[in-house]
Amino acid sequence: MSWVIVALLGGIVGLDATSVAQIMISRPLVVGTLAGFLLGVPVQGALLGALFEIFHLSILPIGAARYPEAGTATVAATAALSAAPAATHGSAGLLLALVFALGWERVAGMSVSLFRRNVERVLFAPERRPAHRELVRRHVIALSLDALRGVIVCLVGAGAGTLLLRAAAPFWGVEAVVTLGALAIASTIVLAGALTIFGGWTTQYRVFLLGALCGTLLLVLR
Amino acid sequence: MFLRSFVIQASFNYRTLIGTGFAFVLLPALVRIFAGRPHALADAVHRHEQIFNSHPYLAGVALGAVARLEAEGATPGTVEKFKTAVRGSLGTLGDVLFWAGWRPFCALAALLLYFEGAPIWIPVVCFLLLFNTGHLLARAWSFRVGLRYGTGVAERLRRARLQDLQRFIAGAGAFMIGLLLPLSVGQYTQGMTRALPWLLAIAAAAAIGLRFGAAARTPVALALAAFAVVALLWGWLS
Repeated sequence: MSWVIVALLGGIVGLDATSVAQIMISRPLVVGTLAGFLLGVPVQGALLGALFEIFHLSILPIGAARYPEAGTATVAATAALSAAPAATHGSAGLLLALVFALGWERVAGMSVSLFRRNVERVLFAPERRPAHRELVRRHVIALSLDALRGVIVCLVGAGAGTLLLRAAAPFWGVEAVVTLGALAIASTIVLAGALTIFGGWTTQYRVFLLGALCGTLLLVLR
Repeated sequence: MFLRSFVIQASFNYRTLIGTGFAFVLLPALVRIFAGRPHALADAVHRHEQIFNSHPYLAGVALGAVARLEAEGATPGTVEKFKTAVRGSLGTLGDVLFWAGWRPFCALAALLLYFEGAPIWIPVVCFLLLFNTGHLLARAWSFRVGLRYGTGVAERLRRARLQDLQRFIAGAGAFMIGLLLPLSVGQYTQGMTRALPWLLAIAAAAAIGLRFGAAARTPVALALAAFAVVALLWGWLS
């Protein structure tokens, strides 16, 4: 694992999540694939990203709500997967990395709240320059602090995740088919549950069932 | 202003929300309008740093309209009234259109490509291209509408039929979830000799998800963690 790559990705996804552009490179599917490619585990990174993306479909960053942060957690978990021994890159490593990401997203989310509270100290300090110059200076400082936050969250997360996977993965005592089954069941529940964001079963059941019928037909005809 | 709008949320805080960012984006217009009047410029900057919120992609509506109002010499009271009137609706509209509509729809389309076996870079590229086409169009459109219509933006937003667009995206998203569920199950059970128990379990899982909705997320995450603990204990003890 390259700590430099992890730090760089951390800064970028930390910024993309809220502060800069929001072009969605911080989405799990995108950054999981990218991080996996850069860290030498492209297939695992993409799969982890896809599964974590399903878990983040229904997370809505609305207003001043506190929410778990996906991008930095994905980078940390993918980095941990890349640093674990190759033998643990299978289903066990994937499930452990996903569980770690689901925990680390909360830590990352707390870092966002902490950052937003502390940025007030910068923004509302007494002015020493003309207002328009002070405005630019403070806005840029806030942006820089958010990038730093992303770097720290990713580096610490990558370290913690690596320790977890290296320590735990060798003890995995369940068959791969059962592990993958657990992942399939979990992701199916969450994917089906994401119907809520489009209005839920009561409003969308016709369209949903039409989609399910088309999907089943495609499957049967393959 | 358009380029600056990409960093409008950099100084998001719980006191003024995107107020500081709003002033930052508006600054080039304020500097031009209040050229040669440093006290008026400082007053304008302080006025616009106050509490404001909007979806980042639609903030251009307010920014464009306010820039026009300031250029026309509107009183601070008029500008403030306008900002207060639009901030709630621009936030809600954007959240519903993008965070609860366009983004998950694009993600589902990308996941569909992924689970159908496309090379791993294709879902990523498709997602980014699809999502950001809508994103950038929205940003550009919102500035155009704000600058052109000023305080008349409310009527323009109504005529844009954005709620119809939101309903369409929601329907498309629900269709995608329905489409994706059997296809992702098919991926998992491909090549299995005894797939029926797993198919039944996954069908039950889909029913549970439909029943409990987004509230199932946290219990599922905890259940996965519990499964991991049991699997590790099993391996350690055997």
